[in-house]
Amino acid sequence: MKTYNMIETLIILVIVGIMSLIGNTIGSKNGFVEAIPGLLILIAIALVGIAMGKYLPGGIPGVAYVVTLGCILTYPGVPGADFINACMKKVGFLALCTPILAYAGVSIGKDLDAFAHSGWRIVVLSCVIFVGTYLGSAVIAQVILKYLGQI
Amino acid sequence: MKNFKLHGVVLLLVIIAELIGIHKFQLGVGVVVLLPMLYALIFGIFLAPKFLKVVNKVDMQDAGSLLGITLMLLMARYGTLVGPTLPKIISASPALILQEFGNLGTIFLGVPLAMYFGLKRETIGAAHSIAREPNVALIGERYGLDSAEGRGVMGVYISGTVFGTIFFGLMASMAAAYLPFHPYALAMASGVGSASMMTAAVGSLSAMYPQMSDQLVAFGAASNMLSGLDGLYMAIWIALPLTERMYKHIYKFKYGAYPTGEDAAK
Repeated sequence: MKTYNMIETLIILVIVGIMSLIGNTIGSKNGFVEAIPGLLILIAIALVGIAMGKYLPGGIPGVAYVVTLGCILTYPGVPGADFINACMKKVGFLALCTPILAYAGVSIGKDLDAFAHSGWRIVVLSCVIFVGTYLGSAVIAQVILKYLGQI
Repeated sequence: MKNFKLHGVVLLLVIIAELIGIHKFQLGVGVVVLLPMLYALIFGIFLAPKFLKVVNKVDMQDAGSLLGITLMLLMARYGTLVGPTLPKIISASPALILQEFGNLGTIFLGVPLAMYFGLKRETIGAAHSIAREPNVALIGERYGLDSAEGRGVMGVYISGTVFGTIFFGLMASMAAAYLPFHPYALAMASGVGSASMMTAAVGSLSAMYPQMSDQLVAFGAASNMLSGLDGLYMAIWIALPLTERMYKHIYKFKYGAYPTGEDAAK
């Protein structure tokens, strides 16, 4: 897997940010200009989180820092949280997914044979995985609720 | 990074996909939702040398290596979705919090089945979680999405995106009809870190128990917020190590030796 330095990372984030901005404008009611502050904040959070994952000890993946930073900055009562929340309302979650899945689609072209090979197995497996998550949680919830006398 | 053709092609895909927009249609008892990201994915695949020959091998490799970073932008947004809900999450009941560990149930069913099917490293990506966005980002960062693990997590992610909603709706009504669970327990189990799957499951339950509807929706939404918060941390510190360990032991059971070479953990 190829790795990128921080400057390259920033450039990639900006490129994807611009694409998300365009997609966000076309696919939602949000205006082009009003989504810019939100995207700039997202780029900053992503960049800082990636850097923390790279340079802080402990081997915690950057993605954990990125999500945690996003949580803390929007936690009600944290200075600036209201401003950031207002900016975020203009950036749709789904609009951010579209460019990523476009890159994913192009990249999958390389592994088509591998995907075709495991295709139906993955679909069956997905169903079993959904059942596992659902029943696992339902069993624990049932036992605890019963124990607490809430049902 | 400097592959301008690739970025241009992707931009075009984004524009076309967003212009098509969201489409919903009724299928049996559930609703199938088609999202722009799905069109972008499918059109992207059709650009391959096998079909339209728009992109070449280098473009496809560049796209794969960029994926990990592009996902970080989405994860930043994800964090900002969870943050405002934190006060509610913190005040959740013990039943709500403990049932989160049930999400690990996927490993005990998924890993053996995946390996029975002959999948190897794909198992790690596919079976460690229900493969929503944070899990895709995590696998992308740790193994690369163009690896076997990446193919596994992408496969389940795509399956979930395409028919996860309808599956969860059906599963919730079947469980309520045939299994000895209280509707509250089933509502709490519905939050798996995907708003659309949770809504479908809770929707089915509400239709069956209209007098409990408000409570069911509240439990489902709270549990979904919780999963959004803990799913990633649980994957890093519990689910992935557990999946790796089960993989190693089942591998030995099936193939007679511990995994080595490209089948071994990286």
